[in-house]
Amino acid sequence: MDVIAIGLSIAGLAMTLGAWVVYLGSINRGTVPVYPTGSLIAQSISMVLAVVAIAWSVTGGHGPTVAVLVPSILALSLGASFVWLIGQRKTPIGELKVAVGDRLLPFGATTSGGAAFHTDSLAGERTLLKFYRGAW
Amino acid sequence: MEPALARYGVRVIALSKDTVQEAARHQARDRLRVLLLADPELTVIRQYGLEHHKAFGFDKASFRVLGIPIGLRPSFTTMAIPTSLLIDEEGVIRWIDQPDDYRLRADEDRVMQAVRAAFEPS
Repeated sequence: MDVIAIGLSIAGLAMTLGAWVVYLGSINRGTVPVYPTGSLIAQSISMVLAVVAIAWSVTGGHGPTVAVLVPSILALSLGASFVWLIGQRKTPIGELKVAVGDRLLPFGATTSGGAAFHTDSLAGERTLLKFYRGAW
Repeated sequence: MEPALARYGVRVIALSKDTVQEAARHQARDRLRVLLLADPELTVIRQYGLEHHKAFGFDKASFRVLGIPIGLRPSFTTMAIPTSLLIDEEGVIRWIDQPDDYRLRADEDRVMQAVRAAFEPS
């Protein structure tokens, strides 16, 4: 059993999981960094560890075992997913139909409690209306 | 931010493409005190021109471990472009915020600056 290769692959997996936990925690707290440099560095290191683990076991002459491949592939997948996700962060502006100074476009919807809602009920109230992507 | 907004009499309402059930789960899970509105047909989202076609997102998580949502299925789906509108008592829009990074929300300072500009006597 190649202990060094296994250790490297597990270290890579631990690092990517730790980086994901930290980043997702920042989402929950509303403190998402504009430039997640630390997370990107951690994910990059985890992917390097995974590649080194596989290379180490290959050059060792026995080829990578399941104990090396599984954590390494997981680390590579999770790390690459994070990097790709950050690359997708830019949002299109869309075609906003209102501007500052316009009146609110009236609409109806249903509340999370199942009740009917209409913007008529906002008359005389100050409101911060937030459109969001939806919950995870 | 809700207490600071409440001092100016500003009520927060949030709308997304979530169904009523998904919005209810979100409200309970995150203990949200704002009013959540469900727009699963994207009727209101399209009315305002805020449809993000083929946005990368995830299906709802089955459960969480150490804060990591488990059971997510990545997919490209249509959803709202994150946008905030500050509206006064007469229904007039006084401020619009639309970050170009969907991960970021208008921070409390920027929102309160807009609220003060709109509702404090000059």
